[in-house]
Amino acid sequence: MSHNKRAVWGSRMVMWGRTPLRQAQGRLSAVQSGAARWFAMLLVLSLASIIVVAQSAAPAKTTEDLPSGAMEGKASASCLECHEARIILQQRLSKAAWAKEVDKMVKWGAAVDSSDRDALIDYLSANFGPDQPGYEPPRTSSDKASGKSGEKKAK
Amino acid sequence: MPNNNAMNSRRNFLMQMSGAALASGAAPPLLSLFLSRAASAQNGPIAVPGEDGMIVRSYRFVDLETPVEYFNTWLTPVPHFFVRNHMHEPSELSANPGNSDWRLSVGGEVDKPITLTFPELSKFETHSVVNTLECAGNGRSLQRPQVPGVQWGKGAVSTARFSGPRLRDVLQRAGIKPTGKHVMFRGLDEVPGKVPPFIRSIPIEKALDSDTLVAMQMNGAPLTKHHGFPARALVPGWIGAASCKWLTEIKILESEFVGNFMSPGYRFPNQPVKPGDAVKPEDTHPLTALSVKSVISGPIDGAKLKPGKVAVRGAAWAGEADIVKVEVSTDGGTSWNPAALGHDQAHYAWRLWTYDFKTKGGDYTILSRATDSLGRTQPSTPVWNPSGYLYNAADQVKIHVA
Repeated sequence: MSHNKRAVWGSRMVMWGRTPLRQAQGRLSAVQSGAARWFAMLLVLSLASIIVVAQSAAPAKTTEDLPSGAMEGKASASCLECHEARIILQQRLSKAAWAKEVDKMVKWGAAVDSSDRDALIDYLSANFGPDQPGYEPPRTSSDKASGKSGEKKAK
Repeated sequence: MPNNNAMNSRRNFLMQMSGAALASGAAPPLLSLFLSRAASAQNGPIAVPGEDGMIVRSYRFVDLETPVEYFNTWLTPVPHFFVRNHMHEPSELSANPGNSDWRLSVGGEVDKPITLTFPELSKFETHSVVNTLECAGNGRSLQRPQVPGVQWGKGAVSTARFSGPRLRDVLQRAGIKPTGKHVMFRGLDEVPGKVPPFIRSIPIEKALDSDTLVAMQMNGAPLTKHHGFPARALVPGWIGAASCKWLTEIKILESEFVGNFMSPGYRFPNQPVKPGDAVKPEDTHPLTALSVKSVISGPIDGAKLKPGKVAVRGAAWAGEADIVKVEVSTDGGTSWNPAALGHDQAHYAWRLWTYDFKTKGGDYTILSRATDSLGRTQPSTPVWNPSGYLYNAADQVKIHVA
């Protein structure tokens, strides 16, 4: 388990977990029985999340890169001007479907030299074919909006 | 306002935690559930102002999916409301609409074209509609064979109270000519490359419906930029793409708008298609209302629970129709039991539902299926189509009890 992986839920828990506990208590006092247990559980979660975040590494890059290969540079130049790599990383398509996508994107303005078309389709279908394991997307945190997140600003 | 949103999410999170704890029965399994989920994600979080714990399908441009475990409040808090952008959000919109250059023009087949400022639009009578908004491509990643497009899981759907002038009041201010049969919306999306602009139209009958809005508010607050500030179309019960964001032009047309996002985009085969087969454009029709559908929001797929009571819960919706029942199977679809429907309801909004059952030990496959007022029931297998629209197979999660 990498430190990066732990950061996702860890920081989310801190984000909410460090809500003034009075607020949590106020809500929990409405619970007829077992309020103390609820509170203890919250406390355990908050502490656990602090520990998890203490071990966490830097947050994910906002955008990702395409996989390495002879066509990486050309694919990046052709595709990533209009959208990020993540849109490609999550597709799992046959070679025929990739060919359709490449041709559609060329029509929509992607600069692909006609001599590179087949190699680009090969690169995409080799890396993002139907049998590849699924892409695991990251989550968002809204620290800038609340201005109160537990996540440390990377500066 | 951002702080309010953040507070709502916190409250919501506390409520979720109570729900999860009820399902699992004790704190330690809950903790291990969180930690196991932490291990399954690949990256740290990405800061997106106003968006909490959302699944990032795309960051540039922004496409965010609501995790199904958030489907536990009838109204989705805005920070948890899914975001679907086809292109980049407009960069030039002032944060202060009263002083901005933003205008909404209404033209085409009208007696007198008009242009409205934000304050002028705000003076129309306001109407509110609680609507479940779902992207036509929701569930696309579950189609086999896989199809291209944003690979949504189950969460490109959310519910909010939308408020603003009725579209028909705005159209009638300009005067609708009898030749007007369709209403076109153009947003301020910033178009990259030679991508066709995001313009679509709806038939005049739907445009004149008293619940079709030019929405300016969501859950009582001004629209956020991700959701179409300063104004968006709200076409209730229909695919999300009908509800154009960052609205700047409304045009009444004699016939359906011709453009990529009307055809070949957002069309569905007229006849059932064998998975993987191509479909000719002339054998398709534009998507309009949503299908009948339910999603299980808890327990989450792969949950490891202790023996005892399990509260299966979720949401069910049916576009322009009403949900009449939700059934749950805890034995992989052999027997079905009625779920209890939540009290909160509105014509175009989802119903929350719950079903409690006792577990002893072992593996359980839990399914849900909804039936609507048109007599439609979710199919057991997906209806495949080349763009992966309107996925609505009975939902399924697997849990392990030990």
